[in-house]
Amino acid sequence: MIRIQGMSKRFDGDVAALSDIDLEIRRGEFVFVTGSSGAGKSSLLRLLLRQDVPSSGRILIDGVDIGALAARKVPQLRRTMGIVFQDFKLIQRKTALDNVAYVLNVAGLSRADQRRRAYEALRSVGLSHRLNAFPCTLSGGEQQRVAIARAVVNEPKLLLADEPTGNLDPDLAVEIMRLFREINARGTTIVVATHDRDLIQRMQRRTILLKRGRVADAGEAA
Amino acid sequence: MRLSNHLHRLRYFCSDAWDEWMHSAGVNIMALVTLVSALFVAGLVLLIVANIEQRVEVLRSDVRVEIYLQDGLGPEAPDALAQLLRADERVERVKYVDKTEALRRYRLWAAELAELVNELQSNPLPASLEVYLAPGTDAAAAAASIAASLNGDDRVEQVRFNQDWLQRLEALLGAARAGGGAVVALVFVAVVFVMGSVLRLAVYARRDEIQIMQLVGATPAFIRGPYLVAGAAQGLVAALLALALVEAARSAAVASSRASAVATADLVAGQPLPAAMAAGLALLGLLVSLTGSYVSVRQSVG
Repeated sequence: MIRIQGMSKRFDGDVAALSDIDLEIRRGEFVFVTGSSGAGKSSLLRLLLRQDVPSSGRILIDGVDIGALAARKVPQLRRTMGIVFQDFKLIQRKTALDNVAYVLNVAGLSRADQRRRAYEALRSVGLSHRLNAFPCTLSGGEQQRVAIARAVVNEPKLLLADEPTGNLDPDLAVEIMRLFREINARGTTIVVATHDRDLIQRMQRRTILLKRGRVADAGEAA
Repeated sequence: MRLSNHLHRLRYFCSDAWDEWMHSAGVNIMALVTLVSALFVAGLVLLIVANIEQRVEVLRSDVRVEIYLQDGLGPEAPDALAQLLRADERVERVKYVDKTEALRRYRLWAAELAELVNELQSNPLPASLEVYLAPGTDAAAAAASIAASLNGDDRVEQVRFNQDWLQRLEALLGAARAGGGAVVALVFVAVVFVMGSVLRLAVYARRDEIQIMQLVGATPAFIRGPYLVAGAAQGLVAALLALALVEAARSAAVASSRASAVATADLVAGQPLPAAMAAGLALLGLLVSLTGSYVSVRQSVG
């Protein structure tokens, strides 16, 4: 599913965020990427999302070198992924339902299909009673569940999550991980960047450890 | 893409544009007021220029060259001269005024001198040809040219044409046009800057939202769509409001001017803004707002 070959990323001033990364993540895997602050977790996710391009090396997703992908094809790539962020990144002026439906609108689905599938996605995360609520009226846990519903509503083959439980209390973090496990069970590959060791231990999944921008431990594939 | 998909997308752009407009009502109202004010000023300038232009056109169509004929010419001489003048494409029509008609007109024009005229043994006024120029003709140049062509013709006693007066009038119109153009250009530049800043502010406030849209796979065109629809609609609404204000101001000025028995406003605002100019103003509003929206959103979306 994801193959990273000799990939490095340097930012302005030649600061190396990631160096000589070689990784493979198979279809259907549930992988944690961990490491201390500045280890390169978020940089790796930004590269997978094609927000950045590698300075050298390649990132292949389903055989496609996404670093070499033309800018006009990036939206299409992102439609095959779901994303969840620590700060939820919901559109504040849209309701929960409209936030989720937006992904389907972008993909060109009819309004009826958008609303039906968005409702199903919100129901699957236990928010069928908060469809018309605006993000500012939702709790942190509810906002993250809306973000997860948005991430899975178009049935992506890959879900990327950057510190998805960072703003949530431990009970809610467990709840969010339970949702990820369900999504993974349906065949979606999941990559979660987190520094929460308790969560990683509880989940017992493959864990890639980054140290100073290098892979210190690639973990064992399931 | 099928037509239904285009319509679906357009419907989304419109509803999202309205949603976005309402959500940032403060900034958007500021942009709308700026645009209405600028277009109102431009509309007033256009109104004044259009009215002066109309007046000049009316006066210009009334401009005529008067050719006074020598006494004692046979009846065929005025006809031959009129025929010659009619062949000139700048001439619309030629009217012959015989001595009797000239005297009748004089009596009407100078009624208080009627008794004096009655005491005359013979009619001293000459017959004449009144040459009316075709619409759109450069009256000053045409009149001067006709006068020059008749110079030395022994059938003609005198050619009269108040050239200075017409030239002054045309100079006034030229100044009004140039001044109006400069004001409109100045307003246009100012409004582009102000609108650009206001819209950049609106887009800046939406930068997180735009980033989210990009992350979930929205294309730049899909993100830009609602902003452009909002920009176009705002420009059009601003233009319609400005036109309504121009007409309201015009009516008020004319009414007030007539009430005070000094009809100055009639000269510069007697007639409403011509439809072509009103349409031009609406188009200007639409283009300014649309351009401002495009430039602003392009900085964030690319």
